[in-house]
Formats: sequence, C-alpha cells, structure tokens
Amino acid sequence: MKKLLETLCGALAGIALFAIMALTFFDVGGRKLLDNSIPGSLELTELLMVVVIFGALPLVSQRGEHVEFDSLDEYLPAWVRRTQNVLVHALCASVMLALAWLMWRSGNQFLEAGEITAQLKILKAPFMYGMSVLCGVTGLVHLSLIARPPQALREGEGAAL
Amino acid sequence: MTEALIGFACIFGLALLRVPLAFAMGLVGFAGIGLTRGWQPALASTAQVVYETGFAYTLSVIPLFILMGNFVARAGLAHELFYAAYAFIGHLRGGLAHATILACAGFGAVCGSSIATAATMSKVAYPSMKKLGYSASLSTGVMAVGGTLGIMIPPSTIMVIYGIVTETHIGKLFAAGVIPGLLTALMLMGAVVVMTSRDSTHAPAGERTSWHERWAALRGIWGVMVLMLVVLGGIYGGVFTATEGAGIGAAGSFFFALARRRLTWRVLLDVLVESSRTTAMLFTLLIAATIFANFVNFTTMPGDLKEWITHLGLSPLMIVTAMMLIYVVLGTVMEELTMVLLTIPLFFPIVTALGFDPVWFGVLIVMVVQIGLISPPVGMNLFVINALLPGVGLGQIFRGCWPFVGVLVVVLGLLIAFPQISLWLPSLMR
Repeated sequence: MKKLLETLCGALAGIALFAIMALTFFDVGGRKLLDNSIPGSLELTELLMVVVIFGALPLVSQRGEHVEFDSLDEYLPAWVRRTQNVLVHALCASVMLALAWLMWRSGNQFLEAGEITAQLKILKAPFMYGMSVLCGVTGLVHLSLIARPPQALREGEGAAL
Repeated sequence: MTEALIGFACIFGLALLRVPLAFAMGLVGFAGIGLTRGWQPALASTAQVVYETGFAYTLSVIPLFILMGNFVARAGLAHELFYAAYAFIGHLRGGLAHATILACAGFGAVCGSSIATAATMSKVAYPSMKKLGYSASLSTGVMAVGGTLGIMIPPSTIMVIYGIVTETHIGKLFAAGVIPGLLTALMLMGAVVVMTSRDSTHAPAGERTSWHERWAALRGIWGVMVLMLVVLGGIYGGVFTATEGAGIGAAGSFFFALARRRLTWRVLLDVLVESSRTTAMLFTLLIAATIFANFVNFTTMPGDLKEWITHLGLSPLMIVTAMMLIYVVLGTVMEELTMVLLTIPLFFPIVTALGFDPVWFGVLIVMVVQIGLISPPVGMNLFVINALLPGVGLGQIFRGCWPFVGVLVVVLGLLIAFPQISLWLPSLMR
C-alpha cells in the first residue's frame, strides 16, 4: 500500500515537474532564439503546478516532512509522545479531509461556471477534483499514521531552506 | 488587535503540541476569519487561496530553482569546486577551511538552499579536513556556516519566497544578495585566519599547487560558471524573468548531470520526486501563511502596531535594528521559514511605511535566516551535518559554530548600517 502510494504519487508529481521544466525551457528558448513560443505554455505550467504540489503532498505527510517544532521531543515521556501522535494526526487528517470536501465543492462551482483556461480552453474543474482527491489521500495517510509509533524526523530530507 | 494576538498565541500553542506549522497556521487563520467575518466567507476565501496559489505561473519559479539545485548536487560538481578552491588557497594556514568557504560560495551560485549546500559540501570537504587533522569543531563549523552562503548568493529559495509574499522584484533581490554574500565569505575567511593564528595545529596548511594544476582545476568548473552566468546574468540583464531563468537553470543543470553520466533513471526520478516533495511542503506553508495573513490583515493589528511603533518616537533605523534583534533571538529556537512567514505580515508594512527599500529588508531577512540556521540549539544546518557525520557530536558542532554566528551578526550590522552594500547592484538594473 505504502509502496503503491509512493510509486503513483511520485510518478505523478515527478513527471509533472519534469514537464514544467521542459516546457519552460523550450518556451523561453523558442521565444528568445527563434521568435516562436509554445502556445499556452503558461497555462499548461499552471495546471501542472497543481499536479506537482498536490501529487507530492501525500508523500510529504507519509514521510513526516512537514515543518514541525520537535525540540521538546526528547524531554517528553513515551506515553505523552504516543498520545500527541494520535491527536496530531487525527487533527491533520480532519483538516485534509475537510479541505478535500471544500475543493470538491469548488470543483463543482468551476464546472457549473464552465471555467476554462484562456488560450487552450482546457476545463479547470477536473484539476480541482484532482486536488480534492489528493487532499483526501493525504488525509487518509494521516489516519494511517495514527497507529504508527512516532518517528524522529529525517533531518535534511526535503531541504527547503 | 486582540483577535490577532490570540491567533498568534494559538499557533504557538499548536506548534508546541507538535502540530505541523502549516496546519496550525491554516487552521487558526481559517477559524479567525470564520469567527470575525463568518464561516461562508472563510470557506470561500480559503478555497480561493488554495487554488490561486496552486494555479500560479509565476510560482513555478520555486520548484524550478529547487530542481536546479538538486540536479547540480547530484551532478558531482562539489568535488571540482572544492578542488579548484583548494588549488588556489590550500597552502595557506587553515587552507582547507578557506577552500570549503569558497567552494560553498561557488556552489551557492547554482543552488538556492543552505541545507543542500551544507550537505553536499560536507560530504566532500570533511574527509579531506579530517585527513589533515583539522579539529572536528572547526571543520563542522565551517561547513555549517559555509552552507548558509547558499541562500545569500543567488539563486535563493528564501529570497524567492520573500519576493512572492511581499511582491518584491525577485531579480533585484537576487542582485542585492551578491555583494553581501561575497562580503560574508570574505569575513568568514578572515575569521578562520584569526582562529588559526593562535594555534594552527588543528588547521594545518596543505601542499602548494602548481599554476599548471590550478588552471586545470579551473577548467573543471567551467560548467558551473557557464550555468551561473547564463541564469543569473540573464535575470540581472533583464533577458528573462526569474521564472524563465529558473526553467533555463533547471534544464541546464539536467543536461549537465546527463552529460556527466550521473543520471540513471532511478536518480532522475529521485531528484524529481524529492524536488516535488520540497515544493509541496513549501506550498502548504505558503498557502497556510497566506490564509493566516488574510486573517491578520483583516484585524486592526498591522495598523495598531504601526501606530504604536511610530508613537514610540524611535528612529527608523532603531526600529529595524530591534526587529533584527527579535529575529536573531527567535532564530535560535524557531524554524526559520515559519519565523519569516509568520512575521512578514506584521513587520513588512512597518518597514515600507518607514520608507525603507523592500529589497534591502529582504537581504536583512536572508541574513537573519542564515544566522538562525546555524545558531544552537535549533539550527537546521547543524542537524544536517550531525546526521551526515555520525562520528561528530552535536556538542562539538555547537562549539564550532559559535564564532561564526558572531561573524554573521557583525555582517548583519554592516548590512543595516550600509544599505549600499545590498542596494548598489540592483540600482544598476534596468
């Protein structure tokens, strides 16, 4: 299950990111050197950004890579840490599931309004539904982590700063 | 005012309970808007922040620069950079420490992450320093502080985030970081000279390299130079925007890693997924911080704070100095990205109202983040080095980095006192 999640979400987000890179490179290269840009590349990048962010979100939660204040950990007894773990993941799961519902609702609104991208006329609603589903998956990941004993953060992984 | 203060208190409370900060900020921001403006507006504005941040072309600058840094890290350039720096100054007292700082500065010019710079360079520099008998505290301290050059010397993830949140020109921020970054590198090398002058046994000099070998070493790093010149030069010269430059840089470093035969399918996928995860983590924080900022900006707090501070009758420079002191203190215990995202909605309006240049303030913010990353007890760079070098205790690393924290604070003082250091290069931009 974990393996499947990592493969699917990893492939989804990774390929989307590679596509953004290639798209930007050829679009800029074409525009500066050949006076010929890729039509709609900006919009495609926008849609792909959503895929990168929300595709990788379940993995961030799965690996515990969100920024947390964990300096107190070593001073807390094990049972406090266990209770904390249950509460925190329950809270995160509720937030993500609520967000999934909210994005689905917004997706419906996008569909009704017939929101499309300006140039390529791509329907935006499916991407909203996708966001919603992946938020839901992230919520489920947090639920699955309730049972797992808390782990130390893998420092340096997913380094942002 | 009170609502916003309660909001901040709730975030700190939740954070202490170990709730991820993105969730804490988002939740408090949402609840705050719900309680002050009603739940339907809260739902609507939250959804809007989520999809608007997601569907944003300009924000693709973040994953692209992260990707560039990760490709460069995997391309194995760190060895060449370190060797080239060593070839020129390795024969000096503390030569390997100087070489580490220079190589970090060079790596920082193609990588926007302090942690990635520290991690990559430490794998290369530590074995050499250990072999020559450098003390563990000096070598780890140098690597930790050298890594922070990665975020001052452009490209820089934190500058991009500051630019996005405050709507400041990212190209100008990048230009503004160049001289402060080089100045920091020089000051750090000066500190190494002072530290090794009393007792050079823990930092002996290396062998002198011939000029022939030096030129050969320089040829080894031409790729980094070209990449840096194209991306940063292009952005600085207005040939392309920061987002376009990031795309060119990412693709360039991809071809680079490919040409050096460092990319297998496995490694490629690893780099892509790792960069996506970092992106997702950053965007959750960014989305949550925006939701929270929307709440805070709706309350009277930013206005009240501005009024209160102007009534104190302090000089503008003193106010900025006080802010920086708060940051340095907060940075010792807080995660720096959150610190910046939480405080910007409060501090930034004050700074601009006092008539200061947002670009200059951005450079100061990067400097306090650098300080925070290496100041114990909570400094990410120290933890990363600790994780990579299991043989060295955190205590030794802490001891090694204190002198460098001092140096960075001095540089911060210089940057506050002489804004020209930061603002001269961007002022030449078109």
